[in-house]
Amino acid sequence: MSLRVMIVDDALFMRNMLKDIFTRAGFEVVAESEDGQAALEDYRRVQPDLVTMDIVMPKRSGIEALRDIIGEDPKACVVMVSALGQDSLVLEAVESGARDFIVKPFKEDNVLDVVRRVAS
Amino acid sequence: MDMSQYRELFLSEAREHLDKMNKLAVALEQEPDDLEMINALFREAHSIKGMAATMGYEATSRLAHHLEDALDGCRQSGRLSETLADRLLEGIDLLETLVEDIKAGNPEQDVSFFLEAPTDETEDGEFAELSPIQAADEEPAAAGEAAEETPAVSPEPETFQVLMTLAKNAAMPAARGLLLLRELENRGEVIACDPDRETMQAGFPLKQLKAWFRTAQKRDFLQEVLLAFPDVEQVDFIDDRRQEAARSGEEAVRTVRIRTDLLDRFVNLAGELLTQRHVLRASSGKRDWPGVDAALEETGRLVGELHHHVLRTRLMPLESVAGRLPRIVRDLGRKTGKQVAFRLIGGEVGIDRVILDQLADPLVHLVRNAVDHGIADSGEVMVSARRERDMVLVEVRDTGTGMDPEALRQKAVEKGLLSASQAAELSDREALLLICRPGFSTADEVTETSGRGVGMDVVKAAVEDLGGTLDILSAPQAGTRFLLRLPLSIAIIKLILVRCCGMPLALPVTRVQRIIELPREQIHQESETPWFALDEERIPLVPLAELLGQKRPAIEPVACVVLTEWHGVQVGLLVGGFVGHRDAFVKPLGFPLDRTAGLSGAAIEGDGSVLFIVDPQPLLAERSVDFLPHKMEEKDAP
Repeated sequence: MSLRVMIVDDALFMRNMLKDIFTRAGFEVVAESEDGQAALEDYRRVQPDLVTMDIVMPKRSGIEALRDIIGEDPKACVVMVSALGQDSLVLEAVESGARDFIVKPFKEDNVLDVVRRVAS
Repeated sequence: MDMSQYRELFLSEAREHLDKMNKLAVALEQEPDDLEMINALFREAHSIKGMAATMGYEATSRLAHHLEDALDGCRQSGRLSETLADRLLEGIDLLETLVEDIKAGNPEQDVSFFLEAPTDETEDGEFAELSPIQAADEEPAAAGEAAEETPAVSPEPETFQVLMTLAKNAAMPAARGLLLLRELENRGEVIACDPDRETMQAGFPLKQLKAWFRTAQKRDFLQEVLLAFPDVEQVDFIDDRRQEAARSGEEAVRTVRIRTDLLDRFVNLAGELLTQRHVLRASSGKRDWPGVDAALEETGRLVGELHHHVLRTRLMPLESVAGRLPRIVRDLGRKTGKQVAFRLIGGEVGIDRVILDQLADPLVHLVRNAVDHGIADSGEVMVSARRERDMVLVEVRDTGTGMDPEALRQKAVEKGLLSASQAAELSDREALLLICRPGFSTADEVTETSGRGVGMDVVKAAVEDLGGTLDILSAPQAGTRFLLRLPLSIAIIKLILVRCCGMPLALPVTRVQRIIELPREQIHQESETPWFALDEERIPLVPLAELLGQKRPAIEPVACVVLTEWHGVQVGLLVGGFVGHRDAFVKPLGFPLDRTAGLSGAAIEGDGSVLFIVDPQPLLAERSVDFLPHKMEEKDAP
């Protein structure tokens, strides 16, 4: 069965790019959320195998959304998507239970390596 | 390789580990789900196993392994069950007997009865889980099979160093380090890591993460898992048993082990240096050597400092003897059906090792008494220590029923130890100290543990022999406090015992050059100061009694002479007789005795009487006019 992935990012460009990468790799993108607040609702609804989570987003930040999700499902697989220079935010996310992180700008192979490792 | 040279080290380290195990096991019983403590206990058992196996002590190693496995089971289940706690303590006891066997040079006793004892640990299953591991130990073929079934897991956990090297351009290396650390934690036990977690949490970049890791997972499998992480370039494993040992003792890296007899020799040598300093100074006074005086002064200061620091090397934490107390309280509480908590405060306070050695038994005694007689049904026993200037105050306190001074007075009268009027004159404090009289006890029952008479006399004598004092504070229903005031470190010196003025007196051996038995005929008594000839020198004779302000005694047919020296002049001290020599702990004298010229201290004799130590130097200084060579010559001149 293919991996069911959910993408959380406020930028459509990023969502599309990730979606293309995942689809090409044979994963199924089951939900796309535009902000941290929608993320929790979508997570509850689709129960994905893995979530990619942007950090800086309107309404609720990626870290807050991460905590929401981990709070409901401690086993949730969440991979943070961060820009360069957000080291302390990534640290915070890791401490809060993120499984790994991807740094933008990213290469397709890197993204897939991380996602495959975390999902295995 | 000849292992015998490591035997002593093994014994002392095993002793330390066992003490810690005892302490942890009892503490764990109070908080059975404290994982930290379970882990700590596990490490102690693991250390003993490793050491014993290296030394070839098979039974010890097997038993430690058995306990280690049981504790590993606790780590899985997250708690120590009550039945297992008992079994664990039994196991520790058995380990102790084994170590005693080894110490005594006996063969280790057979422990299979313990290892094979049936346990009804079905609910926890800690010991039930043992059987396959034991089987694996005994039959290598079985281990092989097990390994085939679960390729990722080794039959037995091992400890090694994992070295993870990150790519040069790794993004957010601190976060990567934390993720790697977490991965390891999910797969075993991270004993320590470098950089440590806090450093990474603070975001400090790293190129490498080093972890001391214990796991049952296979290394090639681990390597695969870790290399799958982004930016992890290389993963190495290093067997480093020394590092492991170093980590288990936090300070081990900065400390070395030194045999205590070597330390004692340092102390003695430093002490002798101290006295030589005086001799040097005395000799230098005879001539005017420019520069020498200042150098001597400085040397004297340095030697004094050296002595001070060398004494400090003998300080050991109270904990090293108090470590067994929790166990004693626990066992005794069980036996007597009392609920007794134990608390140790100031266990880190340093006390001279020699004092600690002497203190161990009295402490056990006081604690046993507190549980046995002090506490009625439930309560707390507390042992605390704190520094007070150059003394250490050790206190054993219980929250029990306390003692009534009035009842003690009555009892003393009943027992015929005191008359009614003597008893009435005692202050409360003095009345409480009555329990230290031999044969005096207020416990109406004879208990198995402390018996009657409880040996408080022995406790008091031991404390006083060390130059300390014992004080008791108590009141009915207010608990009891035993206050032991002890010197921080003590000087042990050799004494020459002489008789003088009808009592024994002691002279420091450092002040004595020779002792001579001199026929009266050889003594020239014609001048004010008698003298005798020794190696063609004229040695003035001074009666010690006279120096001490007593009447000059008549000279015996065979005079006993202690040859000493005052500022380069040999002087014979006439004493009433020689008694012997001994080592003694010297206690400083209190006011106003400390103002008495010539009394440098006191020691306590075995029967409790006081032995004064006389330093003839200041006394001779007062009398020097009588025997300085030129004076004597003047007097003899026609």
